[in-house]
Amino acid sequence: MMKKCILILLVLTLFLSGCWDRRELNELSITMALGIDKVKNEYLVSAQVIVPSEVSMQASSGRSAVTLYQASGETVYEAFRKMTKDAPRKIYPGHLRILVISEELAKEGISESLDLLARDWELRSDFYVVIAKDLTASEVLNVTTPIESIPANKMFNALKTSERIWAATEGVILDDLLTNLTSDGKEAVLTGIKVIGDKELGSSKQNVESITPSTRIQYDHLGVFKEDRLVGWLTEDEGRGYSDITDTVEKTVTAISCPKGGKIAIEIFDFDSTIKGSINKGEPEVDIHIQAKGNVGEVQCSIDLTKPESMNEIQKIYEKEMKELIEQTINTVQSQYESDIFGFGEAIHRSNPKEWKEMKEHWDEKFANLTVHVHVEMKDLRIGTLNNSFLRKIED
Amino acid sequence: MQNVKINPYQYLVLVIFFTVGTGILIVPSALAAEAKQDAWIAAIVGIGISMLVIWLFTTIALWFPHLTYIQINEKVFGKWIGKTVSVLFVIMATYYTSSLLYYSATFVTTNMMPNTPLVALHILMIGIVVMGIRLGLETIARSAEILIVVFVALFLILAVFISPQIKFENLQPVYEVGTKMIFQSSIYLVSSSSVNAIVLLMIFPVFINKVKQARKSFIIGHLIGGIFIFLLTFLGVSVLGAEDTARQIYPGYELAKRISVGDFVQRIEGLMGSLWFIALYFKTVLYFYASVLGITQILNLRDYRPLTLPLGMLAVILALVIYPNVVYQKVVEQSIEIFFSVFIGLFLPLVLAIVYAFRKNKFKQEPDSS
Repeated sequence: MMKKCILILLVLTLFLSGCWDRRELNELSITMALGIDKVKNEYLVSAQVIVPSEVSMQASSGRSAVTLYQASGETVYEAFRKMTKDAPRKIYPGHLRILVISEELAKEGISESLDLLARDWELRSDFYVVIAKDLTASEVLNVTTPIESIPANKMFNALKTSERIWAATEGVILDDLLTNLTSDGKEAVLTGIKVIGDKELGSSKQNVESITPSTRIQYDHLGVFKEDRLVGWLTEDEGRGYSDITDTVEKTVTAISCPKGGKIAIEIFDFDSTIKGSINKGEPEVDIHIQAKGNVGEVQCSIDLTKPESMNEIQKIYEKEMKELIEQTINTVQSQYESDIFGFGEAIHRSNPKEWKEMKEHWDEKFANLTVHVHVEMKDLRIGTLNNSFLRKIED
Repeated sequence: MQNVKINPYQYLVLVIFFTVGTGILIVPSALAAEAKQDAWIAAIVGIGISMLVIWLFTTIALWFPHLTYIQINEKVFGKWIGKTVSVLFVIMATYYTSSLLYYSATFVTTNMMPNTPLVALHILMIGIVVMGIRLGLETIARSAEILIVVFVALFLILAVFISPQIKFENLQPVYEVGTKMIFQSSIYLVSSSSVNAIVLLMIFPVFINKVKQARKSFIIGHLIGGIFIFLLTFLGVSVLGAEDTARQIYPGYELAKRISVGDFVQRIEGLMGSLWFIALYFKTVLYFYASVLGITQILNLRDYRPLTLPLGMLAVILALVIYPNVVYQKVVEQSIEIFFSVFIGLFLPLVLAIVYAFRKNKFKQEPDSS
């Protein structure tokens, strides 16, 4: 009797598999990239949705791997849901990898459009946020890409890789962005993304059929924010300077000048920077300490690498040029944007909480005149597999 | 019923679950709202104060090692005042049972299943609670003994996998908000984890076989639970930052969401959810047990089992009506409920202790009869 009861109960559980919240895979459209534009006071949301049959392992029919749905509304959420007028399935954002915001919207302020993405339960806030430079977000999502058939994946991985081994771009995930937007002592930056070539051609499959696609997506420089508004762009070098200061560099390659003309490229494989705040005679000051380990990657000048002195020389030059780069970056940001993207305010907050309380109201002015001391030290320098460059022999 | 006995280790486990219970889900957020990056200090302070409260409880309970809290009330205050105090106590236990049902159901609807009606989740939860209580304290204690292993394992996974993301800058400057604020924000922790632990006096020390050790396990269990809460607060503030910890409704769950080890171990928050469910379940069971047994003893009934089902239904209905929404619940829980808890769980026991001091000799002469 008991056994029968249990059996019946077990069978009944089959009917209980999530009544209200069941979601079948074939009722969902997975989106991996979202774009937000502002058109006449309305948000235009574009979702790049994966076409399951085209990304499956079985032979695909040659159609595009993704498709773009768009809708506009007064709020982002409304627009997002309105897409179902066009899309046959509910759009599921749980696997979102990248959010593209148009430059125009970024200049007006981005915070309003971000709340949905932080609040909604389906989303996890580990996707990158980037700014579409000089064009709309939907245009960026409308380009096909080689290697990765899903453009969202290409955008995600390109940013991830370039952040790791090139360092002038910055992969900012939503969490970091929100932290920086809400922090008193640090402003946000976002990497720009742009489309090179013909935008019309970019959306067709033919684009990826040639060796050099006529239209491609590429990351550009860093955009500087003041509060939640985009106020300008850094140059490539300044972007590097930013990464160096904020310690987001993992690996990078830097070209420095030789003592007697020419260039040496140094691969940095270990990089560490710390920002320390202090108060000197009532005025805030910041010290940046940088320690780098590098490898001589490419020599284009006649320098005798067998001598310890020249190694010292290279280190000295690197330290000097690095210092200049960082100081120049800070100068530009201080004079042009007055926006503390480096988090110097937070450093002061950590070291002198009492003084910070008084100066945080007018920190922007303080930041513009802040004294920053930069200390760069190169520790370990390797030379690769060659001693002296063959260039020396040829030139002799 | 009186011959039911659990051992001190099982009691220790129950105390851990009770302490951790709701705390592990929302305390980090409540602490960080006021104490900012010093939330973890507030957690330590809160645990310190909690230990004193628990010490008071054990002292009172050990004056009458053969009586439950309800019976102590009657003995010390006399029949009618004692019963009144006990009724308040039972109301509190029932109220918190429903409150916890609401908790667990909102947790599920916010994070996993937004379309599922609350009442369905309430019924599921109370179903196993009632079942557990009907099977008796020993069964509950044994299942707690097993599930604590799962709980600790999951907690360790959470702590280890999230630790690479700790940023010590998030904790600086240390001690910025000042002593007053730290104490103020720790009150919430004290009320939810230790003052409410008065319901555990329905088990301690009557149903435990080694009273001397039981006192130790009460205190140590509470300390271990406190350490879990401290660790989670610490992780919350150091990984998410104080601002974000305060902004999240469930910071612990957000932590689980952020786990990503080598792009491989990630998206495991669903699994981590069971961490909170285990703790919430046992806390609910302990509240419910206190309210059921309390009513039984106030009315001098012989068995508590017939009461479980009707009271369970009552708890479901109550859970549906006590809070109109989560915002209301948060406000109530950090204002009215604190006073409510402190009045019943701290003020009344203190009065009891004072009355006992005056009437001590009388109790000494007549040995315990029950």
